[in-house]
Amino acid sequence: MSTGHSIAAKEFLKNQTYSKWHDATFWAVRSKRDNMAYGLDEWEQLREKASAIKRHTITHLDEYLDQFATKAEENGCIVHWAKDANEFNEIVYGILKNHNVKKLVKSKSMLTEECEMNPYLEAHGIEVVETDLGERIIQLKGQKPSHIVMPAIHLNHDDVGELFEEKLGSEKGNHDPTYLTYVARLSLRNEFLTADAGMTGGNFGIAETGDIVVCTNEGNADMSTSCPKLHIAAIGLEKIIPNYDCLAVFQRMLCRAGTGQPTTTYTSHFRKARPTAHPMHIVLVDNGRSEWIGNPEHWEALKCIRCGSCMNTCPVYRRSGGYSYSYFIPGPIGINLGMLRDTQQHSGNVSACTLCLSCQTVCPVKVNLGDQIYQWRQQLDDFGTANPQKKLMCKGMSAIYGNSGIYNLGTALAHWANIIPSPIINCGLNPWAEGHKMMEFPKKPFHKLIKEIEK
Amino acid sequence: MSNKEDILKRYRANVREKYDMPDLSDIKAITYPDKLVQFIKMTESVGGHVIEVKEGQDINELVKEMYPDAKEIASNLPEVTIATRNPDNVGRARDLNGTDVGIIRGKFGVAENACVWIPQTMKEKAVCFISENLVILLPKSQIVNNMHEAYKRIEFDKEYDGYGTFISGPSKTADIAQVLVMGAQAARSATVLLLPE
Amino acid sequence: MKIGLFIPCYVDVVYPQVGVATYKLLKHLGLDVTYPLNQTCCGQPMANAGFEKQAIPLAEKFEDKFKEFDYVVAPSVSCTAFIKLNYPRLLEGKHECVTSGKIMDVVEFLHDVIKVDHPLGTFPHKVSLHNSCHGVRELGLSSPSEEHVTPFNKIKDLLNLVEGIQVLEPERPDECCGFGGMFSVEETAVSAQMGLDKVQRHMKTGARFVTGPDCSCLMHMAGVAKKQGLNVEFKHVVEILAAGL
Repeated sequence: MSTGHSIAAKEFLKNQTYSKWHDATFWAVRSKRDNMAYGLDEWEQLREKASAIKRHTITHLDEYLDQFATKAEENGCIVHWAKDANEFNEIVYGILKNHNVKKLVKSKSMLTEECEMNPYLEAHGIEVVETDLGERIIQLKGQKPSHIVMPAIHLNHDDVGELFEEKLGSEKGNHDPTYLTYVARLSLRNEFLTADAGMTGGNFGIAETGDIVVCTNEGNADMSTSCPKLHIAAIGLEKIIPNYDCLAVFQRMLCRAGTGQPTTTYTSHFRKARPTAHPMHIVLVDNGRSEWIGNPEHWEALKCIRCGSCMNTCPVYRRSGGYSYSYFIPGPIGINLGMLRDTQQHSGNVSACTLCLSCQTVCPVKVNLGDQIYQWRQQLDDFGTANPQKKLMCKGMSAIYGNSGIYNLGTALAHWANIIPSPIINCGLNPWAEGHKMMEFPKKPFHKLIKEIEK
Repeated sequence: MSNKEDILKRYRANVREKYDMPDLSDIKAITYPDKLVQFIKMTESVGGHVIEVKEGQDINELVKEMYPDAKEIASNLPEVTIATRNPDNVGRARDLNGTDVGIIRGKFGVAENACVWIPQTMKEKAVCFISENLVILLPKSQIVNNMHEAYKRIEFDKEYDGYGTFISGPSKTADIAQVLVMGAQAARSATVLLLPE
Repeated sequence: MKIGLFIPCYVDVVYPQVGVATYKLLKHLGLDVTYPLNQTCCGQPMANAGFEKQAIPLAEKFEDKFKEFDYVVAPSVSCTAFIKLNYPRLLEGKHECVTSGKIMDVVEFLHDVIKVDHPLGTFPHKVSLHNSCHGVRELGLSSPSEEHVTPFNKIKDLLNLVEGIQVLEPERPDECCGFGGMFSVEETAVSAQMGLDKVQRHMKTGARFVTGPDCSCLMHMAGVAKKQGLNVEFKHVVEILAAGL
């Protein structure tokens, strides 16, 4: 009864040193989040407000999008609307081509990952340089991110050291993270200075003022947009929020929830291009969001602010890593967004969950992540992606539990399982035996014992 | 029909139940008995430094003391006399590279997280990020408790009205094996000079 | 107050002593307890696997069997939570649903309804408390570590009424044990790793016994512990509360 996830997770866990480090590292981030939460008496109130603001905003999003675009255009920005990933890539390429851009530096944007923008632009002759250190590392290595906030977490300092020796000419054998960060700084500094354009994502778009707000610790979004003369901001529809009063709630929670810091180093508001640059371009991206809002069980996934705290708290993510999931976003939100994207491709992730509900208890905007995973499971049969063995097992259980006579007979015989020889029990057809020693079945079930007690 | 109208129409049609905006006026946001003390504490905890400028003290002398080996100092502030570069009259933003110390003005600080609101007040805002070391002049009475208070009062400059940022400490990353390193792509150090009124 | 005792399928077959302890404890407290015959299952295993419709006939049977009682008490937080949170939806429009309002896990029943505050059994040992996920995040038996709320733990309150006991909590006090129903046979590696990690954290407290309000968690951890040759015992909370009575 294996899935892509369970097979990959098994491999992941074979390296006990690494998988233990991975689990401990993300638990540490979860703990830092806890300290932030315990330090604010208003934390649970903020979560409730954040959830309510999002529910209001995404159900009135057409109005806020209109307001945002109108204001941004009044500010002198050029606003584009992309209905899907392909259109987004075409629009971006068009803008870059019009400005004779050869090299683009960009700060982190999961949206551009979602649209597979980098390979598209590279195929059209544009050099794309990721400037978030984690993203740059995996770009140089030719890998995908394994976490939405810490994309290179699966690599240790030796991995990075060897990579930088090869790609950036760093000192052989010097794998000290401080040194390696400095090597990257020098390399990226050169990229910022020689790039023709800079692209950022957007953590938030403010409808009332037309601001694009970008939060970073590294300052790479600001470096990407302070030297090159063209700034393109890419933002998913659902990132638009009404006004600054709302922004205060989300800004306070984003980094506390995601990395356990009270704030990112930089919270930058881009309203229009700087005077010496070309007008700023903003690309609003749909790519399914206008459909998802109509999904009765799953529309609340649009509340997500991409903080990453659900993955950090997920005991399954911590022990399987981002690459075990088939969707580019892993963990609880990834399972849900993957299903919204493509039920056929990503149904295998839906069983990578014990329904412990830690994710939705931690989520700063109260997305009902675990409840939604339960609901996706109910729909797999309709999608045609239900596991046939599971289906058969459940039919069997149904038949036994549905009939007291059969049940009572079965339970009376259960203790005979105690004498099945070990080689048969552990033969590989019994998945329970992989990780467990079989339980002892007592001679008499409770429903027999009670008769003796009641006498 | 334009893409915009297409998208908005489809979105509107798919929305099911609508929800009201909650009241945000009853948020019991954290406040501090001494905002300045908290601001200083938080700035230090995020890797920044704070120096309280004394009445009559010359900030130019102070900066020279802090960075005796600095060759290039960038600022457009009238009170800064030691600037060797001015972000208002460089040819290109990239010409500010190699700046040892950038001196800029902050409007107010936020106690809960050491953020300083810095609207763009110079032609090339690159000075805020490209400088190796950042010095932020901040009037010490201008500290608010939290971001709710902050977002009620942020303003953009009249001339350079397209950009503003909150900066909290120096740039940093933990992307390599989760080891925290100060100085990622922007300033490697950030010092707030608290100005007396 | 008429109490109907619900003994879930796996408690019936694998841990009947937990059912016995529950019955004896409730009787000891002078309560009117009945165990209606021919119980089977609440339907949670099938529902969590994605076939919740198969729980509907079981829910109908459950309703018919238990609707006359004032409370339905079960020594299982997962089954209790499943019935409470899902039966109203599953039976909507088809069948009257009152048991979802009457079902309580034995811990919350003793703590919130009976409000037991006098000494119970005797168990002079160190125990490590296993805060089962359904108990924490669906039934509110304890404050979730994720939330900033005043800490509380109903299981601990009850256990502290037992003579001689020392109740300890492991690191990561409410991290999942990794059972998750079908998860344990579908994601065998992650499930076993989670189980082992949890057992080791319990053992690190120095306790010889691990106790919790759900036998499925205990069954999973016991299976993992035995396979790894670890010397630790597992008891349902109600067995300890009733110890020596």
